This record gives sequence, structure tokens and C-alpha cells, in this order.
Amino acid sequence: MLRLAWRNVWRNRRRSLINVAAMGFGLAAIMFGQSLIISLQLQLIQKATGSITGHVRVQRSDVDESKFPDKFMADPEPAAKLFAEDRRIVAWGRRIQITGLVSSPSASLGALICAVEPEKERILTDMSSYIKEGAYLEPDGKGIVMGRKIAGRLDVRLGEKVVLMAQAADGSMGAEAFRVVGLHETGSESFDGQIVWVPLKAMQEMLGRPGQANQLAARVVDIEQAETVAGDIDAALAPGNVRAISWKAIDREIISIQAFQNGILSIVLVIVFAIVALGILNTQLMSLFERVREFGVLMAIGARPRWIVRLILAESFLLGLVGAALGLAAGSALIAYFGRCGLPLPVGKAFSYFLPFPSVIYMLPAWRLHALACLSVFVITLLASLPPALRAGRLKPAEALRHV
Amino acid sequence: MSSLVEVKGVGKVYPGGAKIAALAGIDLTIARGEFTALAGPSGSGKSTLLNLIGTLDRPSEGTIAYEGRVVSSLDAETLSDFRLRALGFVFQAYNLIPVLTAVENVEYPLVLQGVPARTRRAFALEALDWVCLSEYAERRPDLLSGGQQQRVAVARAIVARPSLVLADEPTANLDSKTGAQLLDLMESLNQEHGITLLFSSHDGAVLERARRVVRLQDGRLKSDEARPR
Ligand SMILES: Nc1ncnc2c1ncn2[C@@H]1O[C@H](COP(=O)(O)OP(=O)(O)O)[C@@H](O)[C@H]1O
Ligand SMILES: [Mg+2]
Repeated sequence: MLRLAWRNVWRNRRRSLINVAAMGFGLAAIMFGQSLIISLQLQLIQKATGSITGHVRVQRSDVDESKFPDKFMADPEPAAKLFAEDRRIVAWGRRIQITGLVSSPSASLGALICAVEPEKERILTDMSSYIKEGAYLEPDGKGIVMGRKIAGRLDVRLGEKVVLMAQAADGSMGAEAFRVVGLHETGSESFDGQIVWVPLKAMQEMLGRPGQANQLAARVVDIEQAETVAGDIDAALAPGNVRAISWKAIDREIISIQAFQNGILSIVLVIVFAIVALGILNTQLMSLFERVREFGVLMAIGARPRWIVRLILAESFLLGLVGAALGLAAGSALIAYFGRCGLPLPVGKAFSYFLPFPSVIYMLPAWRLHALACLSVFVITLLASLPPALRAGRLKPAEALRHV
Repeated sequence: MSSLVEVKGVGKVYPGGAKIAALAGIDLTIARGEFTALAGPSGSGKSTLLNLIGTLDRPSEGTIAYEGRVVSSLDAETLSDFRLRALGFVFQAYNLIPVLTAVENVEYPLVLQGVPARTRRAFALEALDWVCLSEYAERRPDLLSGGQQQRVAVARAIVARPSLVLADEPTANLDSKTGAQLLDLMESLNQEHGITLLFSSHDGAVLERARRVVRLQDGRLKSDEARPR
């Protein structure tokens, strides 16, 4: 039967080719879309967690905005110990993030001050890799690193001093002079124009909060594990107003972007599949109509109605197989190409306002999704040919034979 | 001779057509080994009767029995199996499967029967040999002449050794010489291999060749005469 089905598929070569091409093109387009969105999401998550958020964080549970925990933990050390002992964690560090004022002789600007443990932060985030002039922070001393943009606004150069001001523990205004040791350029407005980095120790002194921090950030081996690790750490923390959360609870906008993109992808998927299904239905109905007499002959020589149904389904199965193979090949080739050469993406510019985001995306295959798309094309093909097949199965041999 | 098919009181009214009967009150018995022609002008009901005997259609009244087994009331799947094992068909318009070669067409009933590939190929080649087309085994139907295609159809009809071969105007699309050759072939199959044949025609010259001629007119049996040689 497969032999007959296979030859029937190629009997009307042009029609089958158009069909197979439509299926292949549809599938390739879907795979491309899937890969693009997955790569984009991955990049977004990597950049967000890798530049500032971290994978897992410990901070006060009563902060207004978990992105910028402004309240200090009374004692970060028990949590620090948990981080240090967890083998799933690659790097971690204490931090103070606080809003304050940066002043130079010529200007004063509001900024987010990030005080970090430089030797740990080097591994925890990739911010040290964007340095264009000077060097990254040292643990001791009063160095400051900032973007070229904000330095330009302040009109300061490498080696010159700025003064930071922020509210200290006792409610007074803490102030300190920092020397510019490094200038970076990430391409992101936020990171180049609104944030400055200083060593933790100097900031603790300036704020009169020795040994304190308002967050502990950690990077785990496998980001997929972030929630589990956060859960474990949270459970191990002594009861109190400190908790451990994963990046998903912090960068919630990424999660909603993800949901939005996935929604759009599903809609496109349904549309493409509907087109493929209609094409198949049309082809099969046409080919059924042309072959009514042949089905009559097959029935006359002893083919059961059910056998006819199976024959038509087998034809669709083969058509689907060829279409899926073609789509898979074309889609993989496309993804491989843009995986190697990169795809320049204007949307990167939009993200890069908030994040150091590359404007070229290197696409990654999302095999689970691709397999799902393949399977769907396949199932849709079979489903679409079910009505014509069942109709052929109901033909009466004498009438079918009379058909011209 | 033992009776093979027994047609009793069969009538046919087509549901869509004029409410006059296409066939009425047909009684007919066909014995094993017969070489019978159904004669009658166009529209007299030959095709209708052949379809009923061939279980491709159901009578409106009466019964058709093969060796005592009434087949006119069986369900579609059972009838397919019955045709597969007991009947062979030749149609006016050759009706070969265009995507299969001659030998593949011939072996198709055996494919449906589930006969192993090697055996069925041997049977098919033998059947092609009987119709003298061995050298065209690998050709597709569109590369064969009308006469050749009809002989392939005959080979397909006999390959599974059916008890009865039904042929509806098998020579109508052939020129008279080719038609005569096909009749030669059918005759030899009947005489040498004992195949029971029932065919229809409205061509006097063709009817000459039959051993028994059953005449239909306006859906009724008009005459039934044997022609001993
Ligand atoms: N499917 C059908 N629907 C309605 N009438 C039909 C159908 N098939 C045949 N008839 C009618 O039945 C009669 C017998 O037709 P048919 O058996 O084809 O005759 P023959 O084969 O001898 O030419 C004709 O009057 C024909 O018009
Ligand atoms: Mg007729």
C-alpha cells in the first residue's frame, strides 16, 4: 500500500511539490520564529541576570520594589554563609544599592550607586568586561567606575574626583570623594548614564553601616536551577524579614515579555498551520475527486472501504513526511546560518536602553519546540486528509465506477 | 454442470433516476465453466445486471446467491472480501491504476489478499503470460495500447483464480480486430483454464463468440439461448 501511496503522491508532481513546499516553508518559518524568540529571550535573561540582577538574591522581604531593595539587612552573614557553602553557586557577593547624588565641579546628577565586592563581582556579573578606559574596581580604596556617558555629563575624566552623597544610617547625609578609575561603555542608556559602581567597603564607611548590605547576589551553575536554589536557601534562612528569591521574581518584566512573545508565536503557529491544513484539505479533495473511478476499481477488485481510507491517509502521511523533512532541513539550515553569522536585530536597540544588549543575535535551535512544530505539521496533515479519506471510504463501488 | 450464480426475481430501481425499473424480474442461473454473453441495446440494463451480479451494487428486490450463499445482503467490507476471492472484473474503459506498471496492476488483487511478494509476482507474471504480455510487464499503462491495456485488465481479473470473471462491454473501446483478439483470449481462458466468464456487448459479431447469449430488453429478460459449437 505504501508503494501505491507513494506513487500517488507524485502522480500530480506539481501539486504535491507546491504542497510540500508550502509545508516546508511554513515549518521553516515557524522554526525560525521559535529559534529567534528563544534566542532573544535567552539573551535577555543572560544579559539582565548577568549584568546586574544575578540568578539568586537574598534581601529584605519588606522592600517596596524587589529590583532595588533599599532596606538594609541587619546581618547579612548567615545568608552569606549559606551562599558560600552551596555547591550549585559559582559566585556571590554582598552589595549595597542606593540612590544618591554624584557631583563634579561642573555638575550634579542623581544616580543609582552600586557598591560591590569587586573581586567577587568580576565573576558574578560581566560589567568588568565593558571597561574601555582605566581598570575595574579594587576592593580597597575609593575608586569609582562609571559609564562614559555619565562621565561626559559630569565632565570628569579618568583620575579625576567626584563626590557621592546618600542618606547614612543615622539619617544624616553621608558624603565621600571617589576617584574615577575606570570608564565603560555598554551601549545601554541606563548602565552608561544612570549607574555608578564603587567598592562595598568604602560605601559601608560612608553610610556608617559597617558590615551591612542590602542584598546578596549569587550566580548559579545552571540558570534553570535558580528557583530551586532560591527555594533551598530561603528554607535554610532563619525566620525573619530576609528572604531568598530567584531572578524570575525580580525581573518580572522579562517574564511578561516572554509570555507576550510566546503568545504571538502561538498565534502565528495557528495561522501557518491553518494555511497548511487548508492546502492539504484542498489537494486531497481535488485528488479524491479526480480518482473516484480509480477507487471504484480498487473496490471492485476487492479493496475494503477501510483500506481506501488508509490509502488516502498513507498518502497524506508521506506528503507530511516529505514536507516535514523539507521544513526541518530548511529551518535548521536557516538557524545554523544565523547562528554562525548572527542576525542584526533592531529590537536589540530597544532593549539596550535598559540593558547592555547586543544588536546582533546569534540564533540557537530550540529542538523541543521544533520537534513540536514538526509533529504538529504532521498531525495537521493527517487530520486535514481525514474528511476526504472518510468520504472516499463511503463511496459505493458501482457509482464510483460510473464517475467520469 | 453445477450452478455457480443464482439470480432470483431481481429488480433494480435507481433512487435518483426516473422511477421506472432499470431491471425487473430477472431470473438467471450461471453454471461453472460457462462462457456467457449478455446482449441487448444500450440502456437495456446490461451494466446494471453485471453490477448486481458483481456485488458492486445492491438489487432493489430479489436475491443473488453464489453456490447457495446469498450475497446481496452482506455488508460492504464482507462484500469487498468476497469480490477479492471470488470475482474478477474487466471494464469497458480498461481502468488500470495509472501509477502502477502492468505487472504491479496484475498483482494488486494478490497484494490485497496479503500474498507474499515473491509468490504474487510469480502469479502475476504467469497471468501476463496467459494474455501474452510478458514483455510489457514493467510498462506503465499509458505506454500500452488500448488492446494491451485491456489484456492487462484481463490478467488482473484472473490472477487470483476467481470463480467468475465479469466483463462489461470489454471490446467496446477496441477496434474490431483487437476486439476479436481479446475474445480469442477470453475464449481460450475459458476453454483451457476453465474460467467462467460473463460479458456484455451490443455488438452482434462479438455475441457470435459466446456459447450462451442472454438477451435483455428494457430491463427484462427477453431470451436465453445456448449455441453449441
Ligand atoms: N446510476 C443510475 N441512475 C439512474 N438511472 C440509471 C443509472 N444507471 C443506469 N440507469 C438507467 O438504467 C437503465 C439501464 O442502464 P444500463 O444498465 O447502464 O444499460 P446498458 O448497460 O445495457 O446500456 C437505463 O435506462 C439507464 O438510464
Ligand atoms: Mg452499459
